[in-house]
Amino acid sequence: MLRLRVGFLLIAMVLSVFAARLLQLQGLDSESYAEMAAAEGAVTVVLPAERGDILDRNGQALAQSVDGLMLVADPQMTRDQAPEIARFLSRQLDLDYFQTLTRLRKPDSRFQYLARQVPAAAVTEALEKADTLGFKGLASRNDPARDYPGGDVAANLVGFLGTPDPRKGTHPLAGFERTFNALLAGQDGSAKYQVSRGNRIPLAESTVVAPVDGRDLHTTIDRDLQWFAQRVLRQTVEDARGDSGLVVVQDTRTGEVLALADHPTFDATRPLQSPKGDLGSRAMSDIYEPGSVEKVLTMASLIDAGLVTPHTKILVPPELHRQDRVIHDWFTHGYLRLTLAGVVAKSSNIGTVLAADKMAARTLGDYLSSFGLGKVTDVGVAGEAAGLLPSGTALTPQTKDRIAFGQSLSVNALQMAAAVNTIANGGVYVAPSLIQGSARARGGQVVGTDETTTHRVVSRRAAHQTMLMMERVVDPEAGVAPGAAVPGYRVAGKTGTAQRVGEDGRYDGTFTVSFAGFAPADDPRLTVYVVVQNPRNGGGGGSVSGPAFSRIMGYALRHYGIPPTGTQPSRLPVEWRPR
Amino acid sequence: MSSPAVQVRSRVPRLADLSVARARLSVVPRTTGPASTMPFVLLVTVLLVGGVVSLLMFNTSMQQASFTATDLEQQAATLSAREQSLQMDLERLRNPQRVAEQAHRMGMVLPAASGFLRLSDGSLLEPGPVTNPVPALRLRPLPPPKPEILLPERVVVQAGHQRAGGDTSTASPAAGPRDGRTGSTQRHDRG
Repeated sequence: MLRLRVGFLLIAMVLSVFAARLLQLQGLDSESYAEMAAAEGAVTVVLPAERGDILDRNGQALAQSVDGLMLVADPQMTRDQAPEIARFLSRQLDLDYFQTLTRLRKPDSRFQYLARQVPAAAVTEALEKADTLGFKGLASRNDPARDYPGGDVAANLVGFLGTPDPRKGTHPLAGFERTFNALLAGQDGSAKYQVSRGNRIPLAESTVVAPVDGRDLHTTIDRDLQWFAQRVLRQTVEDARGDSGLVVVQDTRTGEVLALADHPTFDATRPLQSPKGDLGSRAMSDIYEPGSVEKVLTMASLIDAGLVTPHTKILVPPELHRQDRVIHDWFTHGYLRLTLAGVVAKSSNIGTVLAADKMAARTLGDYLSSFGLGKVTDVGVAGEAAGLLPSGTALTPQTKDRIAFGQSLSVNALQMAAAVNTIANGGVYVAPSLIQGSARARGGQVVGTDETTTHRVVSRRAAHQTMLMMERVVDPEAGVAPGAAVPGYRVAGKTGTAQRVGEDGRYDGTFTVSFAGFAPADDPRLTVYVVVQNPRNGGGGGSVSGPAFSRIMGYALRHYGIPPTGTQPSRLPVEWRPR
Repeated sequence: MSSPAVQVRSRVPRLADLSVARARLSVVPRTTGPASTMPFVLLVTVLLVGGVVSLLMFNTSMQQASFTATDLEQQAATLSAREQSLQMDLERLRNPQRVAEQAHRMGMVLPAASGFLRLSDGSLLEPGPVTNPVPALRLRPLPPPKPEILLPERVVVQAGHQRAGGDTSTASPAAGPRDGRTGSTQRHDRG
């Protein structure tokens, strides 16, 4: 019995020691042990979410993400071999020899960037080679890169990213990259696990929060058409010695913007080499007075209200004295007998004002507002200007006279293109869009083709008759812009040569020349709008923008395989004879 | 008188004899030999050793799998990096600017007009006549203009003809101020 008791006592004592030790480990020192354990081979890595691509309408990349690495050096280790390493890197990765050499020899430093955002494959290959050559002190770190394969193609819309901050991550600076960052960026994940000699220990504790990759942004832009529009525009602006220019190509039926070109623009792969003013889209952020292109909106409104027809006879005087000033035409003439179609074909301001006299100022303002003027198109481009459409007390009879032929109101290019597109689309306004499907922009508004709205502005008949008048503009005899014709196709269009408002708010003697039109005229599929600011070669809407319109429209029609309709163009009389 | 007692007494030993005879145990011969402990020990040993060995092997294979996984992950990362850089190269090759320059070097030009072949009835839509000659598309920007100081002074000779411009491509007056082509009148305040 005694032996048994002693045995139990011994066991109890041993167990008490165990319990005490357990209490110490788990209760009192647990945190320090946990820290020691965590420090021993535990690794936490950020699993970067892949940024979504920005694609054109055919899925071609306008901006894509690439696994990137940064190449870093420890100068204390590289100093001795600096010239050899610099020569090797300048050959392998195309780095600047002298800059690299300086960094490899930097005194009192243990960390130097040698190259950033280099595609991972190139850095890995270089490091492997450096290893075999015996170079020490080089390393790589994660540094996601963004590639813009098109360079300047659609750069005005796509925007660009700044150099990523090691802590804050990507840094979108402009364009869709910035507006739709929430959609593109995704959510970084993280993984925590135990590592022994570079290998993950199986069955050890590990936690993984999977990254959520960013979503791709599908735009309505057609990369090839966008490129072509940009090249034609650049040539046009350069040849006319203009300040800037822009092109809008819109699908008539859906309102999708197929190309939106700006010149000058920038190379998205090297954004900082361009002036700051070129880093956005002037087509969206700049407003200007549209000039005679606006006349087609006035005419469509007048016809829709039943006040005139294309055959309405107008006697156009050499000049028109109005309340506070004299209205001139762009060409000197005596008394002209023009039909309404003739007024459009010859782009007569006086004729337009006389025709618009039949309509009240407010009614005209309402029509123009319905055409989308004075309101932002809200297609997802930040910094869009709404334009200026006088209303209320600002809409005096004198203002209305000038609005009728496109002065004293200002628009952005997409607004104007969408307004002309309304005539092409049988009188129904289609809200333009730049994003396929739908996406939430930075401001919280949802934009895209899914959100497209339409409303009727003028009757189908009014739109058709306006189209017939616009067809006379490109007629070699009747019209002022034969250069805008597209061989084989029926084209309806309108020139514009508007005075530009200078810095001080006055007309400064420079011009905005433009051409807007659509084809095939009797079954419109595409609307193209070309604007050149301040041409210095003395050209107007017909001679500067017209040929550019013709080229871009011709290319787009071929590109989309739209055949000519084969019907005869309109022969509306432009003049009338007294009986 | 004593007979019943004798009867009882004589009956009791008989019963006792019987029960004694019944109760007496006799040694029964063994049918089997003593049970061996060896199989049980063997079984336990085999189970124990097998368990330990398989645990070791399992652990080893887990470690091996971990090495392989690390290797494969590295390989996957390298391959996906290579795939991405190839994709990048491909996108650069497909860049419309590069394609256009290549086509230009090969002597290709953009058509001014094109015909259409209608597949439904096999008819050919002839391309329309090209009235406006189209200049070649310039693929590269013009070099930046020379500074004014390098340009020779211009000599302006007044010739009485009109220069092209205005809303038409034919002719427009250029002698006078260019204002008022669309605008209402000479320089004036805005609205």
